[in-house]
Amino acid sequence: IDCNSLRYPSLYKPGQQNLLFNKRQFFLCTLQGLGTSFLLFFIPYGAFSVMVKEDGSQFSDQQAFAVTIATSLVIVVSVQIGLDTHYWTAVNHLFIWGSVTVYFAILFAMQSDGIFGIFPSNFQFIGAARNCLSEKSVWLVILLTTVVCMVPGLAVSFLRVDLFPTLTDKQNLRRVRRTSSRRSAYAFSHQQGYGELITSGKNMRMSSVSAAPSAGKSPHSSNWIENMLKRKNEVLISGFGNKSK
Amino acid sequence: MIAAMMASSYNAKEEDGHHSGSSSHGGAGAVKSKKPDNTAFKQQRLPAWQPILTAGTVLPAFFVIGLIFIPIGIGLYVTSNNIKEFEVDYTGVDINSPCYSCAKNFSWNSTQSCVCSVNFTLEQPFESNVFMYYGLSNFYQNHRRYVKSRDDSQLNGDLSALMNPSKECEPYRTNDGLPIAPCGAIANSLFNDTLDLYYVDSNSTKTPIPLAKKGIAWWTDKHVKFRNPSGNTNLTVTFQGTTKPVNWRKPVYELDPSEADNNGFINEDFIVWMRTAALPTFRKLYRIIQKKSGTTPTLPSGRYILDITYNYPVLSFDGRKRMILSTISWMGGKNPFLGIAYITVGSICFFLGVVLLIIHHKYDTRNNSADIPN
Repeated sequence: IDCNSLRYPSLYKPGQQNLLFNKRQFFLCTLQGLGTSFLLFFIPYGAFSVMVKEDGSQFSDQQAFAVTIATSLVIVVSVQIGLDTHYWTAVNHLFIWGSVTVYFAILFAMQSDGIFGIFPSNFQFIGAARNCLSEKSVWLVILLTTVVCMVPGLAVSFLRVDLFPTLTDKQNLRRVRRTSSRRSAYAFSHQQGYGELITSGKNMRMSSVSAAPSAGKSPHSSNWIENMLKRKNEVLISGFGNKSK
Repeated sequence: MIAAMMASSYNAKEEDGHHSGSSSHGGAGAVKSKKPDNTAFKQQRLPAWQPILTAGTVLPAFFVIGLIFIPIGIGLYVTSNNIKEFEVDYTGVDINSPCYSCAKNFSWNSTQSCVCSVNFTLEQPFESNVFMYYGLSNFYQNHRRYVKSRDDSQLNGDLSALMNPSKECEPYRTNDGLPIAPCGAIANSLFNDTLDLYYVDSNSTKTPIPLAKKGIAWWTDKHVKFRNPSGNTNLTVTFQGTTKPVNWRKPVYELDPSEADNNGFINEDFIVWMRTAALPTFRKLYRIIQKKSGTTPTLPSGRYILDITYNYPVLSFDGRKRMILSTISWMGGKNPFLGIAYITVGSICFFLGVVLLIIHHKYDTRNNSADIPN
């Protein structure tokens, strides 16, 4: 796998200690879900209590209300997932933007004239999406709901990364100062140089591991590379202190 | 220590893989390797963008959100304040109100409708198109069983559904053995008050104000969702074999006999009523007062008289009826909630940005010396 995972094995500790998914995390997630649901209903509720369309015809009807809340929900969830995604590859782009696009496609398909003609009693929302989403005030409501749902989460996670950074966050912050964003196996040149290593003579001593075919060809099969790794891990473990065994 | 063991075990495995690979190449080479292809997609080496939450990205985002939302909120609030609106409650609860006698003496069997008059004064003239709404309070059009009580096939003009309405309409499905057209509780509770507006000028002459009754329903409703049953152009013949809803005074083909495309199921008042409201206090568009050419205001300031044909009883469930006159703007009607909400959220974001900046700055300067060397 990556050179990174070998370089910072302490990153595996949160997984082993079940820090990322335990009862407390689950409870906090549930709480966030409750808060978001509350906001998703009551902000459009407040806006819809007196709302009319641009041409004056009535607007505060059930179907427009439903379409507004559903659209806000899909957008809030997509934005939340987008912010939580750590690596935006082409696949991620496809699925996240694709979800939002497919939602709108299905929404307009379900509320089109054609399908109403076939099943009038089952597809009663005809025309609701067209009339609702062409109103500027509805989009303003959706934007407001999205921002209100995202801002607390964003503030909390920013504070968490700033004040109590985990090992992953520290490593991410270190990586952000470099330019490499391709997850490749060749990241070795970003280490500190070998000068100190050679002059200290450490690599000369540990020659018991002899299975390496040749030095310098692949990064994983040299002695002094192993020593570098060991030394780096020792620095890391001692540096982060409290979790070393 | 664990790390070193992990590293060395990994090395050993890959060297084994290398060895077996090289040995198979040296030999017959017929054994296919089970390793996945070395493409970027399968080895998870796709080019990726990594959004990291640093202070450089999050704090400006908060400030930008605050700076965008506050002007939007101010714009919305100012626009909403410029919309003129006038409301008059004519339920007749108070003994001094003009419609008190009509409200008290209401009965379902009365043939003669009760008329009452409400006088009011407009302080400011209303310009451009003025919209007249009727508003109801404490009327739960969003009750689950009420919302289901309709037959959209029948309202779309399906002849088989006309004679055989769906079961959802119970108990307003048949009456005296004949099917009800339109069936259901929503249709049955159609609002049937008639409101007329008169302007009283300085000579005390009462001039009626023209009220347009077309163009009040959604286009998709009027032209796609609701259709009269096909057959005869004479709607009386088309609806033969059906009966009017229980609480209506006239049958559906007499809703507007003067205009053919506002009669029957496609009557716009009926369509507006059938679009159920989301909340118990709602308003529905009743009439439009078109703007006059030139600079004369549509509704000049002065005294007005509202004549009401009181047909709709609401006191039994403690409801209220109102008439609302309102102008509109690009964002719809008078809606102070949105403007205030935007201003509030914008200021909170901005304030939060400032607080986070202070926290980050204090923490940064405190922690600089203790930073772990890279």
